[in-house]
Amino acid sequence: MKYKIAVVGDLETVTGFALAGATYLHVHRDRDETLQKLRAFLSDPLVGLILITSRVREELSEELEPLLKMKAFLPMVLVIPDRKGYYPAGIDELEKLVRRTAGVEVVLG
Amino acid sequence: MTKAVTTLSPTRMELIRLRRRIELAQKGHDLLEEKMDALMMEFLGLARRIRVLRKEAFAELLEAHQKLLKCMAWMGTLETVEASLESLREAEIEIASRSIMGVRVPTVQAVKISRKLVERGYSLHTSSALLDEAASRFEEVLSKLCELAELEEAIRRIGWELERTRRRVNALEHILIPRLKSAVAFISFRLDEMERDDFVRLKRIKAMLEAREWRK
Repeated sequence: MKYKIAVVGDLETVTGFALAGATYLHVHRDRDETLQKLRAFLSDPLVGLILITSRVREELSEELEPLLKMKAFLPMVLVIPDRKGYYPAGIDELEKLVRRTAGVEVVLG
Repeated sequence: MTKAVTTLSPTRMELIRLRRRIELAQKGHDLLEEKMDALMMEFLGLARRIRVLRKEAFAELLEAHQKLLKCMAWMGTLETVEASLESLREAEIEIASRSIMGVRVPTVQAVKISRKLVERGYSLHTSSALLDEAASRFEEVLSKLCELAELEEAIRRIGWELERTRRRVNALEHILIPRLKSAVAFISFRLDEMERDDFVRLKRIKAMLEAREWRK
């Protein structure tokens, strides 16, 4: 099956990935608006990959947590650094998951 | 002793049934443990690959952003954004699924993101060469990120499955199997006790009968 790509983030990130061919775009300005868009992307059967910048992920972490946990098999969601390379450790739950399951600290960054 | 044990009927039939259950539980426990080991190997392998790929992709992303910034400075932010919206935004990734130890994970199969200059769709005579460069950089990063997303998605799913499996292994090891074992101990104790009871009773009857014999 073929799927499209969605991007949510700051203007530069969205512009860059639009140039690369991402189909669904959303520039984050307002919490509620972004959340609504993200919900739409998550339930869209055409979307296969959603890129979210770390800032958006951080800002909406409370609302996003359950959304990402309950999400279906597709789309895949990936958190990427924003245009300044801002990517704090533990922005996603991956490190927590590794620590819990492997019992050791594994540095992914 | 637990409640389940006290309401048990101490019969030989029950003992056999319990022993069979222990055997089954043990077998299940061993199988789950093997599954956990296999998942763990997969998990750690993925973690290693993600670590490498992340470093690479994020560095490239930063570079692409610098190119874009240059382009925005040259052409103007608005013009750049307009060109990006004008461009053909039809990148497609083909996603299938495969299963690792019964865990369904997505696999990105064909990524067709890199394009030729004329395929991008923005008007070439109004845009700078810097825009082309930024676009091609972002295309490269995007295909890397697709790969990364696949790995991260897989590790997340395997992690969940690992947790679930571990819970089940622990439940078997620390709750079900000890409980069954104590039930077996209880029943065999009761059976032995009954046997001794019978033995003593028979002895006693025999003694009584012999005493009656002598009195005659």
